[in-house]
Amino acid sequence: MRRLAPRVLSVVAACLLATAARAAESCANPHQMQGFKTCADIGTAEREGGLVVYSTDPEAASESVLAEFHALFPKINTTYFRLQGGALYAKLLAERQGQAYLADITQLSDMSFAFDFQKRGGYMRYISPELAAYKPDYRSTPDGYWTWGALVVAGIAYNPNLVPADEAPRNWPDMMNPKWADAISVKVTISGLQHTTWYMLRQLYGNDFWKNLAPSKPHAFDSYVQQFDRLVNGQDKVAVTAQYSGYLLMKAKGAPVEFVYPPDGLIATPQPWGIVKEAPHPEAARLFMDWFLGAPGQTVNARFQCDYSARDDVDPPPGGAKSSTFKLLTPTDWKAFEQSHAAYVREWDKLTGMR
Amino acid sequence: MSTPPRIDVRDLVVRYGETAAVDGVSFAIAPGELVTLLGPSGCGKTTTLRSIAGLETPSDGSIKISGRTVYSRRERWNVPSEKRGVSMVFQSYAIWPHMTVFENVAYGLRVRKVPAAEIADNVARVLDMVQMRGFADRPSSKLSGGQQQRVAVARAIAFSPNVLLFDEPLSNLDAKLRAEMRVELRELQRRLDITSLYVTHDQEEALAISDRVIVMNGGKIEQIGSPEAIYNRPVSRFVADFVGSANMIAGQVRGPGPDGTLLFETEGGIKIEVIAPANGDTSGTVVALRSSYIHIGHVSGSHNAVNGTIHRRMFHGDFIQYVVDWPAGQLIVRRPPTELFEEGSSVTVSFAPLHCVLL
Amino acid sequence: MSSFGFRGWVMPLLLLVCGGLVLYPLAFLIIESLNIGDPQSFPPEELGLANYLELFEEPRVITNTLLVASIATVLAVLFGFIQAWILTRTIIPGRDRLERLMELPYYMTPLIGALAWGVLLGPKTGLINQVWQSTGWTSDFFNIYTPWGIAWVMALFEGTVAFVMISASMKSMDPSLEESSRVLGAGKLRTALKITLPLVAPGVLSATIFVFSEMLGSFAAAFVLGIPGRFFVVTTAIWEATLSFPPDYGRAAAMGLSLFGAMVLTLGCARLIMRHGSYTTITGKAFRPRAMEVGAMRFPLMTIAWGYIIVAVILPLGALLLTSMERFATVIIPQMQFTLANYETALRMGSLAPAFANSLILGVSVATLGVPTIGVLAWIIYRSRVPGRGLMEFVIMIPAAVPRLVFGLGLLWAWINIPIPIYGTLWLLGIAYFTVFLPLGLRTIAGVVLQVDPSLEECARVCGASWGYQMRTVTLPLLRPGLVAAWLLIFIASVRELGVSIFLMGPNSKVIAPAIVNSWLSSSSELSAAMALMQTAMVFVAVAILFRVARRVTGAPA
Repeated sequence: MRRLAPRVLSVVAACLLATAARAAESCANPHQMQGFKTCADIGTAEREGGLVVYSTDPEAASESVLAEFHALFPKINTTYFRLQGGALYAKLLAERQGQAYLADITQLSDMSFAFDFQKRGGYMRYISPELAAYKPDYRSTPDGYWTWGALVVAGIAYNPNLVPADEAPRNWPDMMNPKWADAISVKVTISGLQHTTWYMLRQLYGNDFWKNLAPSKPHAFDSYVQQFDRLVNGQDKVAVTAQYSGYLLMKAKGAPVEFVYPPDGLIATPQPWGIVKEAPHPEAARLFMDWFLGAPGQTVNARFQCDYSARDDVDPPPGGAKSSTFKLLTPTDWKAFEQSHAAYVREWDKLTGMR
Repeated sequence: MSTPPRIDVRDLVVRYGETAAVDGVSFAIAPGELVTLLGPSGCGKTTTLRSIAGLETPSDGSIKISGRTVYSRRERWNVPSEKRGVSMVFQSYAIWPHMTVFENVAYGLRVRKVPAAEIADNVARVLDMVQMRGFADRPSSKLSGGQQQRVAVARAIAFSPNVLLFDEPLSNLDAKLRAEMRVELRELQRRLDITSLYVTHDQEEALAISDRVIVMNGGKIEQIGSPEAIYNRPVSRFVADFVGSANMIAGQVRGPGPDGTLLFETEGGIKIEVIAPANGDTSGTVVALRSSYIHIGHVSGSHNAVNGTIHRRMFHGDFIQYVVDWPAGQLIVRRPPTELFEEGSSVTVSFAPLHCVLL
Repeated sequence: MSSFGFRGWVMPLLLLVCGGLVLYPLAFLIIESLNIGDPQSFPPEELGLANYLELFEEPRVITNTLLVASIATVLAVLFGFIQAWILTRTIIPGRDRLERLMELPYYMTPLIGALAWGVLLGPKTGLINQVWQSTGWTSDFFNIYTPWGIAWVMALFEGTVAFVMISASMKSMDPSLEESSRVLGAGKLRTALKITLPLVAPGVLSATIFVFSEMLGSFAAAFVLGIPGRFFVVTTAIWEATLSFPPDYGRAAAMGLSLFGAMVLTLGCARLIMRHGSYTTITGKAFRPRAMEVGAMRFPLMTIAWGYIIVAVILPLGALLLTSMERFATVIIPQMQFTLANYETALRMGSLAPAFANSLILGVSVATLGVPTIGVLAWIIYRSRVPGRGLMEFVIMIPAAVPRLVFGLGLLWAWINIPIPIYGTLWLLGIAYFTVFLPLGLRTIAGVVLQVDPSLEECARVCGASWGYQMRTVTLPLLRPGLVAAWLLIFIASVRELGVSIFLMGPNSKVIAPAIVNSWLSSSSELSAAMALMQTAMVFVAVAILFRVARRVTGAPA
């Protein structure tokens, strides 16, 4: 659990450093735009004319988000590139190693990637005036490398046509019930969200928690799309590590899915967003970061991606409950989280029949 | 040869891996001559022809055309095909299906950048020569075999080459057409006075059209000579057997005979008078005797006359072929269709010593 | 065949270029497969055979691959053989139209087919399973998410390739061989079994081997239908290995090279067999095969022939059409709600139009540049006596034996480390496609080159034409129909290409196939279905236009 004294010290140190840093690097007179402040020079950004975002988010939604930015700044052409989790990071690193710098902004789906990238000096340090709206836990140490641009929330989902409400699982341990055998889905080992789920529920319920799931032979999938498709089509009854955004999107389309908010808490995985150091369009990148981390960007992101914002002043995604109504479980000791990875891979691979 | 030869081949060797398809071949062809390379398949005649054309690269030797060296191993000299100035008629005719007859024939002229009016004249002229006038605009894929052959010849002579090479051009035609075409080809060659080298396995064809015949076997030359010389005075068993129909009579030379002949005793004890080969070698044990030179019935003044029995008779139309039993075995005899004898009848066969060649 | 004045430097130069294109990425793969240290560092810190040894400790992936490839090959050859038989040896109504329709499955990709069959035969709720269960059965008619299902989908699409190869060999058979059997008193069936079958056997055998080697490297079907059930073959295992972080490139490369080894063996066997067999069928003499009258059997046979088209083309397209128009992807009929919103979304997506445009541009460029180049190469390899041409042929055919997904990895490492800034551009994709389709182009054009009677070219040379003049006036015009066919094949292959594109795409160089996969993974099945149909439509339209143009170019019915 937490070790308070060193933690307080580090927070204090971070704040001091951050203040010093802010005094050195954040600009003196941020522009006030419609709904957000920016330190970037808009003229320069528009002259650069382009912006490339590397992210793991679904393409159609991301393009809608970027389209909103483009509508504000028509001279900046936005381009989006998607790959799954680890592959995106690997591509980013491979490109840097070959000195091909194509990405301006990068979203990484796993905190360990963000730490790694920061360690390698991959991020550009930029103190956005919007950073003030984010709790220190939600920002890099020191400030300005990466920030939590969204929170991916996961719980349990089920098909109400197949599972009457009174039989549905109510809390996390209910998924171990043998009646879900061969009808329950989880995510694959490489999913960052799954790692977080595994880690947090062990913290809550003990290290042997997941062993009880093995007899149910869960099916593992790369994406929530597949999980929800199977739910809708009756191939599975229950989805665990069910992405809330997926549920919201399916519900909006009229599909028969219901979501369970376990009283012990919903898993939340942060999405670290940052600017790449050798970005080809640095000024446009800074402008985007300010917009994205500001209320307008966060609102747009929540609306299209159906993820939650780390800011308090942003509405929840359409159809979603207010974040104050449920508990969020997020790792606090990221180092310990990182170190648990090997054990996680071993256990999860066995659980999902990979090895 | 007083005038320098048009084609001069010396010690030509063409090897494929371990085997030599052409193994030391030398000959010279005078301007205006039509020489035929004759032999069974695999004897190297086509390879020799293609080497002269530049389509095969020999392993050793030298080739000169019109006095110019086009291939020499020693000088490491090899002129590519397109620069040798020879022309060739292929066995498969090689008529380009995507061009008209005119375009096919004009090809060599176009390559040499002859002006268009002259091309048109030339093409008309040669098409006329091969009796294909009026076919100029026909797409060549619509021609019959015989027509393709004529177009191939026209194409070959259109640009007035010095040397014309023929690679079994008539072998794909039926017998009647073959006989007609061979006459036409010879006429054409005579008229244009083009030096020609002709390859065929058909000995009748070779004898009919050539000035000289080169008989080849196993990559080597067996005999070079005029058709009459090849026919009447074969120097080896192979030549005797391959060209025309011959009886091989085994036996021994017993001593000199009258008028410069030799006395030859066959197996079976018959003594006949034969002539010695040109090189004077009297150690031969076989005498070659052409079927057409044997008479049936007594002919006065002939020195060799033996009794025999007609064993079999086959009517060939232009001649009758008899198988005659005689003390030394069987003789094949060819006689004009008027000389009819019954199977089983006793006859006398006679032949002149001049026609019995000791090999 | 002869030598002619080829300058001494031409062959080494060509070998250098081809070798560079093909062997350089391969070298990267080999080095990486021996990397047992940090996968991210290049050159590798530690070298060893651990990656290969691990493969043999856990042979499950390899046995899966062999199992699926074998079943798929048997099915594909069966389909191809039956179709070839019906369409070339018997007389059924509408034969010509059917023969044209047999090309259709090739225009659709196995990816699309797999998506569609998931809809049709998904366990419990696939459309066909629903119909089956409504007739009273409790279990599925068939579950497509199994090795058999994967093999079925692969076979359906590869079946057309087998069909083309086998029917070509059937068409080049001398009909008098069968006629003599019939004259001697053997009935149709006996003739078929005792005469026709053995004569066609070499063609069938080479088709089998070719199809098998393609199946070993197949990715899309196993991706869609295998991964959900945790059934991995080598290509999908390679894909998974590259997805995790840190990516297990060493393992991926080792797996890819093992597959390479297997394919080289297979293709090597093929060459040995073909050498013993009949090159004599290709003499340029075209036989007109006499097809059999089948009387009353006409209609059953026609049904079978049409059956293949329906199962391979119409059913999947129908399933996709259905899914693309649903609000959310479901096959449970009472749940279905319909909308055209997916097409709207697809059309609105900013990245889709560039992806389509890029795929078209790449397809046209690679085919247009590739065909003449490969044409010249084919001529050099099969018609000249230039030394080193055997080596050239071997080098060019290497990419056929490396699964494209793996080759994509090699290409990525190779080109990213070169100081020329082509990474992330369409140029890189173009070079990659060209490299990867060299074997396909060579095989197609070689077939045509070998059919041209060499005396046609020799005659041109004897008439005085230089090599260039001869190529221009005689060789290329004669090859034209084959060159057009090769162009179309390469165009379609480029547009469909997935394995290579996945790794080499950049933000400004997106292409369709990976976009569909991305959408299937992250957006929704309905959107992917809409995109897949749009891609298919685009290919159909492009091919139809190209056929028209081709007809005018060759001046003959294509």
